[in-house]
Amino acid sequence: MHAGIIFLLVIVGSVLFHIFTPWYWTDIASNWGGMDSTITLTFWVGGGVFVAVCLFMVYCVFRYSHKEDRRAEYKPEDKKLEKILTWATTLGVAALLAPGLIIWNQYVNVPKNALEVDVMAWQWGWQYRLPGADGKLGTTQVRNIADNNPFGINPDDPFGKDDIMIESDVINLENNRPVKILLRSVDVLHNWYVPQFRSKMDAVPGTVTFYWFEPNKVGEYEVLCAEYCGVGHYAMRGGVEVQDKADYEVWLSEQETFQQLSARYEKLNLDGNKLAKK
Amino acid sequence: MSEEYDNNKSYQAQSSEVLDGSAGSINPDMDYVRPAEIPEQDLYHAHSFIEKWIFCQDAKVIGVQYFLTAVFTGIVGLILSWLMRLQLGFPELAGFMTAEHYYQFVTMHGMIMVVYFLTALFLGGFGNYLIPLMVGARDMVFPYVNMLSFWMFFVAVAVLMASFFVPGGPTGAGWTLYPPQTILEGTPGSGMGILLMLISLSLFVIGFTMGGLNYMITILQARTRGMTLMRMPLTVWGIFTATVLAMLAFPALLVSAIMMTLDKVLQTSFFMPTILKAGEVLEYGGGSPILFQHLFWFFGHPEVYIVALPAFGIVSDLISVHARKNIFGYRMMVWAIVGIGGLSFFVWAHHMYVSGMNPWFGFFFATTTLIIAVPTAMKVYNWILTLWRGNIRINTVMLWCLGFIVTFVNGGITGIFLGNVSVDVPLSDTYFVIAHFHMVMGIAPLMVIMGAVYHWFPLVAGKMLHEGLGKWHFWITFLGAYSIYFPMHYLGFIGVPRRYFEMYDSPYMTSAVGMNEFISIAAFIVGAAQFILVFNIIKTLKTGKKAEQNPWKANSLEWYTSTVPPEHGNFGERLPVVHRWPYDFSVPGAKDDFIPQTTAPSEVANTEVEKT
Amino acid sequence: MSEQKIDGFELKPGFKGMASDTGSDQTMFKGVHWGKAMMWIFLLSDTFVFSCFLISYMKGRGSTIVDWPNTSEVFSLHVGGVPVPLLLIAIMTFVLITSSGTMALAVKYGYEKNRKMCGWLILATAVGGLTFVGMQVFEWSKLIHEGVRPWGNPFGAAQFGSFFFMITGFHGFHVSIGVIFLFIYTYKVFAGHYDSKKRGWFTKMKGDYVEIEILGLYWHFVDLVWVFIFAFFYLW
Ligand code: HEM
Ligand SMILES: [Cu+2]
Ligand SMILES: [Cu+2]
Repeated sequence: MHAGIIFLLVIVGSVLFHIFTPWYWTDIASNWGGMDSTITLTFWVGGGVFVAVCLFMVYCVFRYSHKEDRRAEYKPEDKKLEKILTWATTLGVAALLAPGLIIWNQYVNVPKNALEVDVMAWQWGWQYRLPGADGKLGTTQVRNIADNNPFGINPDDPFGKDDIMIESDVINLENNRPVKILLRSVDVLHNWYVPQFRSKMDAVPGTVTFYWFEPNKVGEYEVLCAEYCGVGHYAMRGGVEVQDKADYEVWLSEQETFQQLSARYEKLNLDGNKLAKK
Repeated sequence: MSEEYDNNKSYQAQSSEVLDGSAGSINPDMDYVRPAEIPEQDLYHAHSFIEKWIFCQDAKVIGVQYFLTAVFTGIVGLILSWLMRLQLGFPELAGFMTAEHYYQFVTMHGMIMVVYFLTALFLGGFGNYLIPLMVGARDMVFPYVNMLSFWMFFVAVAVLMASFFVPGGPTGAGWTLYPPQTILEGTPGSGMGILLMLISLSLFVIGFTMGGLNYMITILQARTRGMTLMRMPLTVWGIFTATVLAMLAFPALLVSAIMMTLDKVLQTSFFMPTILKAGEVLEYGGGSPILFQHLFWFFGHPEVYIVALPAFGIVSDLISVHARKNIFGYRMMVWAIVGIGGLSFFVWAHHMYVSGMNPWFGFFFATTTLIIAVPTAMKVYNWILTLWRGNIRINTVMLWCLGFIVTFVNGGITGIFLGNVSVDVPLSDTYFVIAHFHMVMGIAPLMVIMGAVYHWFPLVAGKMLHEGLGKWHFWITFLGAYSIYFPMHYLGFIGVPRRYFEMYDSPYMTSAVGMNEFISIAAFIVGAAQFILVFNIIKTLKTGKKAEQNPWKANSLEWYTSTVPPEHGNFGERLPVVHRWPYDFSVPGAKDDFIPQTTAPSEVANTEVEKT
Repeated sequence: MSEQKIDGFELKPGFKGMASDTGSDQTMFKGVHWGKAMMWIFLLSDTFVFSCFLISYMKGRGSTIVDWPNTSEVFSLHVGGVPVPLLLIAIMTFVLITSSGTMALAVKYGYEKNRKMCGWLILATAVGGLTFVGMQVFEWSKLIHEGVRPWGNPFGAAQFGSFFFMITGFHGFHVSIGVIFLFIYTYKVFAGHYDSKKRGWFTKMKGDYVEIEILGLYWHFVDLVWVFIFAFFYLW
């Protein structure tokens, strides 16, 4: 008796918790609303099954608890019932899988007009690179990384010269413009994750991985590292600022290109040499 | 060679003897069971204290040894979880804990719980104790190898625990041990710690292989007369399938451990690409970190089912016995266990949706993963349909089973979220994952273990555990564990990533401070409640009520041994002969509400029993 | 196996036989000795180990940035100043396969209770295995001498040495274990332990010639694995 009541309370409590929870997802700020809807759908279907199964269990506990003078039913199997249940489950599962796969298909097919952003991770920090006027990022190599070449751009690659370097852990993005995040790491796995954008992917040293999203809400967001990368993992934060086109252009024009950076270092070098000579 | 298959004399005597005492009018043929194919097992009886209790070859003692060693590691894992929860809930009280410590605790907790606690407990503990008894064998087929298996496991545990005391401490790489981070500075314990972990895992695999061969051959080749595969208790089916999975999945772990050891010690680059650290390019280059992940999860996913399948099997038996009703759809249950086991080798990359592997794999692995949901759901339906129209004893054992159903269904449903690729994208690597797998492979199997302890304790120790204490133990554990993990899903929705030492500086995370405190308090209580069981066991051993033979009125062979607790050789002079499945409860027309597997058809000729 | 008769059970051939064996009580593989069944399953597990190694090797070789060394040069042997590719390896393979043959004969004579022949043939197998290991040691030292190391080599991708030493080493380890057991069994056969059913030193199980067949299974497996390693390392 008590047992049934407590189990019932647990189930009712779970449902109430879900309805009244103050903790739920952050307001979405990207195009991936479909993920949220699939979650909601799965919640309805899955939650329904959970509640139904548990209530049935509670019912059995109430209705069929032990009595000396009663015998349980003897019926080893019920082919028909089992068949119905199998097919119903299969249908339900397929109904959940379909939207999941459709959205995944969108997730892995990046729109042509997406702005490529090179996100470079290391233990424990981020920096970013945007293509210059040619719209193309220069190729890179870990071995090239140096003070005067923080991204390891291949010096002979013409596309690399005008790349815009953002040596900060905050990057600005233009509202309503799709971005393709190109991830790379110089040491271990990392993962560039903004909860409000819903999307993520690991940065894997040795290769370039990618994903895309379209920010659709102006504001400042925090970047979290979502793949364990050593003791500094929890502190590996960054930022994103989504801006309107006008503000974004202003910001963009203030950034330094690879060429400018190289020139600056050359000058520094020359100055240094001069000093040394004196 | 010929001698191998000579029939033992005592068996032949037995086969005609079964007919004695049956009603004259009944056709004696209906009780016919084929004579024995295999001669009596040649058992080596212990001659000394050491042979009897330490280097013992009796599977029952080995089972208890496995059980106790695994429980010891489990307590270590539990204490580590307390320390983690202290840091997460009350960081101001955990001033002694650095991030290094936290990550070492997370790693050791995860690895201990999954491998050294649950796997060893289910297969080494319950497997050893129950398999020979349930299939009607005198012992495992290779008792000596079985003994070695335990001691290998023991050494593996010793090496693992030693890593707490080496310079640099145990590894803090996360239980997934993803390279390159695992063997680089920047991860705690990347020196001796990780080496000892890899050695310990390799020893575990070797030890397990020795045990696994025993479990498999005993089930396949050493069943008693009349014990067909389809008359085996589901416990045996679950443990058998889990063992098959382990024999095929552990090789991948062994190989990845060997390769990583070489990467660490000999500077090979199996998993190591070009790496820039502190401004310098390391000696490594050209390896693939994702290759490790494939190997690891080719082991890791079946590993989840290595833990789950024995739990499925055991809980089916417990529910059936205590609901006094046959397990509903036995054949479906068997096929579901085997099907889940087979499918579990084709879903591993659902742990890698956002790992940077070829994104097209996502379609395949999401589909296979959700296909597994179907047989799994069938098992759930069959459990509750077994309760339906049963005659349910609401005792401690049944409570654990009901707790299992609730937590398992809950965790199973969140599994559908995570298996469905694009839904996994926002949720992966957050606390939603932590909540999911604790519910489904932490708490749910734990519920089964506890139920099994209360169920079989009278057999192992000959005394009944105290029911009142058992119920307190259950309710505190169940309600506590549920209130740890149910709200935790919502931390994941907020976006709190897992493996975070601290998390209170983002606005949306700050909102969860209260919840984290609550969860931590619940975790302390749940952990402490486990000592009720320890107390119960000690008290029962000292002053408990003596158990009668077969106190639960079950049908399977382990309750029909010559003595309680069973002695070496299990069944006295004659092995039992089996005539039916173990689920003939409440058969209409029968005198009692159970018919033991050893009852011949002619003895219950007037009942409406179905032939199995 | 179908001619064996098991009381109360008719062994049927083919798929039907399999189904009726599976559906029967006591044993699934009718008339199969426990130890043999154990070895088969162990070998299945071991197959997975070697498959993991070889698949990793394929993946590793397929994705290195630096070119893979030219194996026909690296593995060639200089005979009178002329490099002969695959010479050593051909001899090694020949020796190992021959030892498989002697092993099979030993099993046969064992069952015929022909102690002498059986003993000599096991000894021959052991010597064959030992020769194989010896030649492997020679090959390893030659490569090491030429500068091949697990972490790098002068001929190309570092992974070449890594995989080569790891996989051939792991296989060589299997062969060595086998050789040790072959020598032990040689002793036991000549000492007549299998005829007198003397109990094992540790296991306390009664001795029987079937043990030789079990070791034979292992030995043939090690041989078979070698063929794959041979193909993957030396012919690719
Ligand atoms: C009351 C009992 C338990 C508590 C309070 C607990 C608590 C925790 C906590 C706090 C974490 C770390 C979360 C993070 O920072 O990412 C964790 C991780 C983990 N736990 Fe438990 N746990 C318990 C029981 C179990 C059991 C029974 C299992 C067996 C499956 C288990 C398996 C794991 C695993 C695999 C991890 C992941 C480790 C990693 O991220 O590398 N836990 N647990
Ligand atoms: Cu990180
Ligand atoms: Cu999995």
